[in-house]
Amino acid sequence: MARYQGWFAFVLALAIAAGMFLLRTPLELGLDLRGGSQLTVQVQPAGDITRVGSEEMEAVKAVLERRVNGLGVAESTLQTVGDTQLVLQLPGEQDPTRAARVLGSTAMLEFRAQKPGAEGDLRSLRQLRSQVRAILRLREDQARNGDPDNSDGIDFDQLAEAQKLFGLDGESTSEIDQLQQLLEKVNGEIVQQFEPAALTGKDLVTAGRQPLQNNPNSWEVTLSFNSDGAEAFAELTKSIAGTDRLLGIVLDGQAISEASVGPQFQAAGISGGSASISGNFTAEEARELEVQLRGGSLPLPVEIIEVRTIGPTLGAENIRRSLVAALSGLAFVAVFMVVAYRLPGAVAVVALSLYALFNLAMYALIPVTLTLPGIAGFILSIGMAVDANVLIFERIKDELRRGNTLIRSIDTGFSEAFSSIVDGHLTTLISCAALFFLGTGLVKGFAATLGIGVLLSLFTALTCTRTLLRFLMGYSGLRSPNNFLPNSQLPTPSA
Amino acid sequence: MVDASSPATADVRQLRWSLSAMRQRVWLISAAVVVVSLIGLVSSWLDPTIRAPLRPGLDFTGGTQIQLERQCDPACADLKAIAVSNVIRELALPKEGNAPLPQLNAPRVQLLDAGQSLLLRLPTLSAAQGQAVIQAVEPVAGPFKDGGQSVDTIGPSLGRQLLQSSLVSLLVAFAGIAVYISFRYDRRYAFLALVALAHDVVIVCGFFAWLGLFFQLEVDSLFAVALLTIAGYSVNDTVVVFDRIRERTQQGSDLPLKLQVDQAVSATLTRTLYTSGTTLMPLLALVFFGGSTLYWFAIALALGVVVGSWSSIALAPSLLTLWQPQGD
Repeated sequence: MARYQGWFAFVLALAIAAGMFLLRTPLELGLDLRGGSQLTVQVQPAGDITRVGSEEMEAVKAVLERRVNGLGVAESTLQTVGDTQLVLQLPGEQDPTRAARVLGSTAMLEFRAQKPGAEGDLRSLRQLRSQVRAILRLREDQARNGDPDNSDGIDFDQLAEAQKLFGLDGESTSEIDQLQQLLEKVNGEIVQQFEPAALTGKDLVTAGRQPLQNNPNSWEVTLSFNSDGAEAFAELTKSIAGTDRLLGIVLDGQAISEASVGPQFQAAGISGGSASISGNFTAEEARELEVQLRGGSLPLPVEIIEVRTIGPTLGAENIRRSLVAALSGLAFVAVFMVVAYRLPGAVAVVALSLYALFNLAMYALIPVTLTLPGIAGFILSIGMAVDANVLIFERIKDELRRGNTLIRSIDTGFSEAFSSIVDGHLTTLISCAALFFLGTGLVKGFAATLGIGVLLSLFTALTCTRTLLRFLMGYSGLRSPNNFLPNSQLPTPSA
Repeated sequence: MVDASSPATADVRQLRWSLSAMRQRVWLISAAVVVVSLIGLVSSWLDPTIRAPLRPGLDFTGGTQIQLERQCDPACADLKAIAVSNVIRELALPKEGNAPLPQLNAPRVQLLDAGQSLLLRLPTLSAAQGQAVIQAVEPVAGPFKDGGQSVDTIGPSLGRQLLQSSLVSLLVAFAGIAVYISFRYDRRYAFLALVALAHDVVIVCGFFAWLGLFFQLEVDSLFAVALLTIAGYSVNDTVVVFDRIRERTQQGSDLPLKLQVDQAVSATLTRTLYTSGTTLMPLLALVFFGGSTLYWFAIALALGVVVGSWSSIALAPSLLTLWQPQGD
């Protein structure tokens, strides 16, 4: 008897510990339950690297991590999945566009000197570009706000002429599309006016941003280079100082801005290794550029293969409904067990509640991120946890029908049911292990929650139910077989 | 006091269901349902719009799925799916880099929860293009609830990977279970457990193949998860019955195998019915009270539990009697 009191104290202590732990450590909810964005990126081999190995993955991850931290989303996580994929989770982020842009782009920064001659071409191209940009902004604002058509001060003839010049027919798509295509062409043409890169972002030490002094709505991005970069920058600026040639700043093959270098730098170029880019950036654009530049160039190109965005109320609704389902399922199982098995049924309900408590505590301890399939796995495992109890109680009933004494029936019931409980649980565990180690995404999460459930149900069925039952048997008032089986089903005592 | 292991009389009294007497009927029923399921899978494969045993959802084919919850105060304005798809067809998407613009000429629009929410299935869109679609649909179907949106974009390669990894892990899981059962029992038990498992999986797949043919129901990665669970449940259920049968046969009883199997099945019948009942109840609660996200998942699992119970109390044990030891 003392042995069972010891066990009883142990189970009780465990339950209290689990409860306390659960109160302190909130469960981690998956994005499908609390809303947010999830992006999956595939790292692709390029150039000399034909296979993406773990080293390359680490390098890409390091760069992306810096960029993600720059995004400033709280509790964002970046995880390697499989051999060549990374999953980024941004809780609460409702606009995955920004993240996608920052993650996906390579941020290849180049400084180029303008080619000698044909300065006039560049001037007219830049003029055209600023016009197209202005019209594009106007049109985008109109599209966003639904403003009436207001084309004051726009020279459409000149625009049409420019389109013809660049070989765009201007028929097939919307006006905004046309403008964007034209802008791209013009930008490409501007890049052609410059020599190949003399200095790239790989010599960049850090990047910052600040609003322009004369126009606080326009931002510039400041750069500082290492000694190699500083030298190259001084060389580059020296070569064009005092000429009409410009310094081109090219990001990912796109001309961002052009700067002139004053004649005072003719002797030594701009030294000190710092520079700034002002490309008429908004605060947000400047921040994105800063993040990209700070993160450095990606060693390998990445492709975004999955973007999932879930609104926060959709998640809350899912939690509420799954909770209602889980509780009503549990309530039914509890009523059923008491009706079907009487006293041991009631004990099983206590054991099942302990099971649910331990299970949730385990989720918080490991920690398991609770997702929708995870909750489904949990609800399902409640049903399966009952199975072990049913197996035991059926055996106890069998023994009682055979005319065995109560205590002996209980002990025999447990030992007889043991092998099938273990076999059933182990086979489920084997498949959980296979699914966990070989599966991905949803499958992995489901295998984890189900596996934890199976292990715990093995523990609660074999120790908790037994301990509680034997503990209660210490009270003579409860020791009637009638509490286990209706009298009518008991064999009449033989002589 | 009576010895716990010996009296056969008490067990015979408990024989509530003579399985061996109706084993041919059991086989006929199982075979018929399996054949109907296989026909469903094959028809789905032959269907030119599907070309797969099950109608694959976004998770497997790639694309963008947008779910929007409408603000209904108090009731939603009438909405026709065709009106929404017309708007989408006319839409000019913003360009994304040098990528060709996705074709929006065949959007699939579905109204859920009595018109309260809207499900759009489109080719793969960038985040900005997805927003453009939502903005275009808003005047027709809006206003939408803040935070009630979900946008999923999945590249086709991810779906293939998911399918592949699920299949590989499923096969490894089967092999592991087979090894375990042949180690603990013997090879025929392992073989029959896998037959029961295949039976359950085929029937659930067949049911969804028919739903795909008639109601355009698509299977997603949650369905893959459901199948894996059904497989686990099926084996677990079968093993418990087999454990009882082995216990009988090891007691060295003189009774013919058929009768021993009948006794074992009868002895575990209550347990199997109770267990599938208690597993079914939370699942039915999910079907009735859970959100639309888990609806078909719960239905697949519930069907799996019913079929799994059938195969473990009827099909697997009755097939075992085919291995009647010689000279018994």
